[in-house]
Formats: sequence, structure tokens, C-alpha cells
Amino acid sequence: MIEYLAFAAIFGLLLLGLHRKVIARVQTRPGPPVWQEILHALKFSFKSTWVPKTASATLYVGVVLVGIGIWSAALFIVLAGESILILFAIYMLHKVVEHGFGLSSGSPYGKFGGVRSVISAASEIPLFVTIAAIYLFTGSLLLSDITAYQAVHGPFLLIAPPVAIAMYLVILSKMPYGPFSIVESKELVSGYKTEHFGVWRAGISVIDGLKTFVLLYAFVAIFIGAVPFSLALVIMTVILVSLSFVCAVTPMLSPFDSVTIQGLITGAMLAYVGYLWWVMP
Amino acid sequence: MPEIGGSDLFVLEFGDILHYYTPYTTTLFVLALIFTALAILSRPEGQVDIAFGGDAYYAKETAVSEMRFRRFMTIACGLATMGAMGSGDIFNFTLFASLVGITNVGIVAAVKSRHVLDAAYEYGIVAMVATLPLFGGAALILATTGTLSIPALAAGASAVPLIGKALLALGVIGEGMAPFYAAKAEMFRAPGAPYVIMCSLSSLLIFLRVVEIAITI
Repeated sequence: MIEYLAFAAIFGLLLLGLHRKVIARVQTRPGPPVWQEILHALKFSFKSTWVPKTASATLYVGVVLVGIGIWSAALFIVLAGESILILFAIYMLHKVVEHGFGLSSGSPYGKFGGVRSVISAASEIPLFVTIAAIYLFTGSLLLSDITAYQAVHGPFLLIAPPVAIAMYLVILSKMPYGPFSIVESKELVSGYKTEHFGVWRAGISVIDGLKTFVLLYAFVAIFIGAVPFSLALVIMTVILVSLSFVCAVTPMLSPFDSVTIQGLITGAMLAYVGYLWWVMP
Repeated sequence: MPEIGGSDLFVLEFGDILHYYTPYTTTLFVLALIFTALAILSRPEGQVDIAFGGDAYYAKETAVSEMRFRRFMTIACGLATMGAMGSGDIFNFTLFASLVGITNVGIVAAVKSRHVLDAAYEYGIVAMVATLPLFGGAALILATTGTLSIPALAAGASAVPLIGKALLALGVIGEGMAPFYAAKAEMFRAPGAPYVIMCSLSSLLIFLRVVEIAITI
């Protein structure tokens, strides 16, 4: 069990390192080595650690454990083929974790990172549109049923491409250095992460690694279907490189524009699902 | 009953009213419980603010009397949220959802900041108006099917009108989800992180629950 968690966290961090590398090469910079994020996590694990004087100590520490807990649960839900509704609930609750990171320290930078996380709540709604669309086809939200449906009818990527695009945008909105990364933009230092250092920051790295792995693996399972694990890892890497290209060539949007564009995507997806509901028998 | 959130782990019966816990609702319940426990155990942070126009900064302290009242409202909000997570009855769910709206205002009501209180007042109006579709949706479902029991509705004896489900979801969204959360986001500027977080968590959890209810029935 622990080996799955360790593999997912390390592979996720490797993907995030590759993300930085690809962005750098597209922008004609050498960039850090691909294992840089793993080195960061190890380095922070051995740095001196304490709790800031102004922080709400229990919450400051507790929210790191909650973050690791929810993404560990998400990993096992995906691997066990359980309900994707739980997976997406965890994705939405990650926002509360970000909020907790930001507010618990008392730092204004963290606070504004947390508030930005809350105002970008519109980015989560396409997730439920994805769920609704998939339910219209399969009549079930168990991942095992969804992959079984695709084994008979073909991948959802071809059956309902707009739904796949919606989830791709949802993952894009959680990628660092992307157009929607307003929660950790540089004018807020590191946004909600600013005041978490030492072991707490290593915990955030583990959360980021697990989150990246789970979201990409879920995308493969939901839209491509059951594939051998090694092939799934290759497909996840390809999807990540495509996300890195988008992040490399797109400037970060202002908070207002970010929320507006996410709102428009949500509206378009609602219209698509309304159309599906109307035409499907 | 369709197993949207997995099969039942535990059913708690109160006569003909029951609470049921699937892996999905249990996950939501446990998260509400964890954050309620964190609110009980944590002391508020000393929120640091920058004094614009200079290089000074100051820390806001939360008075003990204010902290006690806000912690009480947070615990009430946590309990209402936990109730809504397991409820197998739509009427009980709507009551818990409206209680979440009231306690959310209460969590920031003791904060001595005009800006935060203005935001809380605006949010209170939106949440109050949202109870109309919330209870209206439940009333429509009751009038059409004769029951508000989720397992009975899921059994499919009579079709639940789509407008009933839509109004129910709209009512919950009005309690603090996009796009009605604009005023609520301003409430999050208030100091007292362990309490303020419950405002966003509770809205999120009741939204996640109403999605499950709407698909199930």
C-alpha cells in the first residue's frame, strides 16, 4: 500500500519537474533538471522547521496532514475503480485545503492566495458537467463501470470530446505556471504556500505530486479506458507535455480574467450537456 | 437505489426517516468532522496586515469573547453540515442547508470590521433568497411524488420532476457556490482562519451532497 503512495508521489513530482523543463525549453531557457521537484521535497524534509508566531498552530499543521490524507484517498479510489464522484469531491475539497494553507499563517500573501483560491471556484463546475455527461452514457459513476463501457463502445475521448476538453482544462487550471495559476502567482510570493517551510513544505510537495499523478491517471482511465499500467504512465507523460506547452506559451491571466474565462467554459459545458440530455434516448 | 457514491456502509433509522452513509457521504462527513475538530482545537491566527503608504505592518488580535462566539457558530455549522451529509430525507437536508447559511453569517458576525460585516449582510440576503428555490424544490417534489425520502424517490415509483431537482440545486448553490459566492469571498478576509474555513467548507460539502441527491433521485 505504502509503495503505491511512494511511487505515485515520486512519479508525480517527476512529472512536475518535466513540466518545468518543457516550459523552460519552449522559452529557450535551459531549465532545471527533471528531478528538481524530488530534490526540493527531499531538501525541505531536512530543513529546520517550526510554526510561525502569528499562525493558528493546529490548523497550520493539520491542513498539511488533511491534504496528504485526501490525495492518498483519491489515489486508492482511482486504483480500486471506485466512484469518480468521490474523486471529484476530493478535487473540490482541495480548494478548502489551499484556503487553510493561506489563512492559517496570518501572512497577507498567504491570505490573498487563499482568497484567490476561493474566488476561482468556477473552475470546479466543469468537473460536475463531466460527471453528468459520463453518467448520461454509462448510467454509473463507478470507474470500473466506466472503463467496462469504454471496452465495448470505445474511448470517451472519441465519444464525447468536449467533455474530455473540459477535464483537460480543469487539470490545466491546477498546473503550476499556467494561465489560471493565480493562487500562487509571483506578486503574492508563493501565494497560499508562502509561509509553509521545512517539513510542512515537503508535505505540500507530496500533495502536489499525488495530485498530479491522480488527476492525470484519472483522465486516462475516464477518457481512454483500461490500458496496461506502463502504457498509462506513457500517456500521462504525453498529456503533461501538452499541458506544459500550453503553460509555456500562455501568460498568466489576471484574477478577474481567469474567473471570467473559467465561467465561460462552464457555461459552454452546461450547454453541451443540456444538448446531450436532449438528444439522448 | 443507484449506487452513485458506492454501496451503503451504514444506515441509521429514526422510524421512517433514515440517515445512510455510502463511501461518498462518509468521506464528506469525515471531512466536516475533521474541520470541526480543528476549529475546536485551534486558536485563531494573528492576521498580519500591511499599512499602505509606509513600510509598517500590524497584527490583528482576536478577543476571547469574539473567539468563543465564533467557535460556537463554527461548531453549529459543522454539526449542520454533518447532518446534511448523511440525511436520507430531502426535507431534513433543506433544513440543514438553510442552517448552514445562517451559521455562516454567524461565524463572521462578531468580527469588528465594517467591510466584513457588509459582505456578511450581502451574503445573508443572497442565502435568504436562495431558501425560496431550496424549499420550493422540495415542495414540488413532495407535491408530485408524495414523499421526500431519498431511498423511496430513488426506487422510482413516481418520476421526480426535473424542475424540482433544478430548484433544489439552485437553492444550495445560492448558499455560497459559484456564481453566488462573490459576497462570501469578501467574508474570508476576516481573521480567525479555523472558523472562516468552515464557511467555504460547509457550502462546498452541501453542494457535493446535493449533486449526489439530484443524480440518485
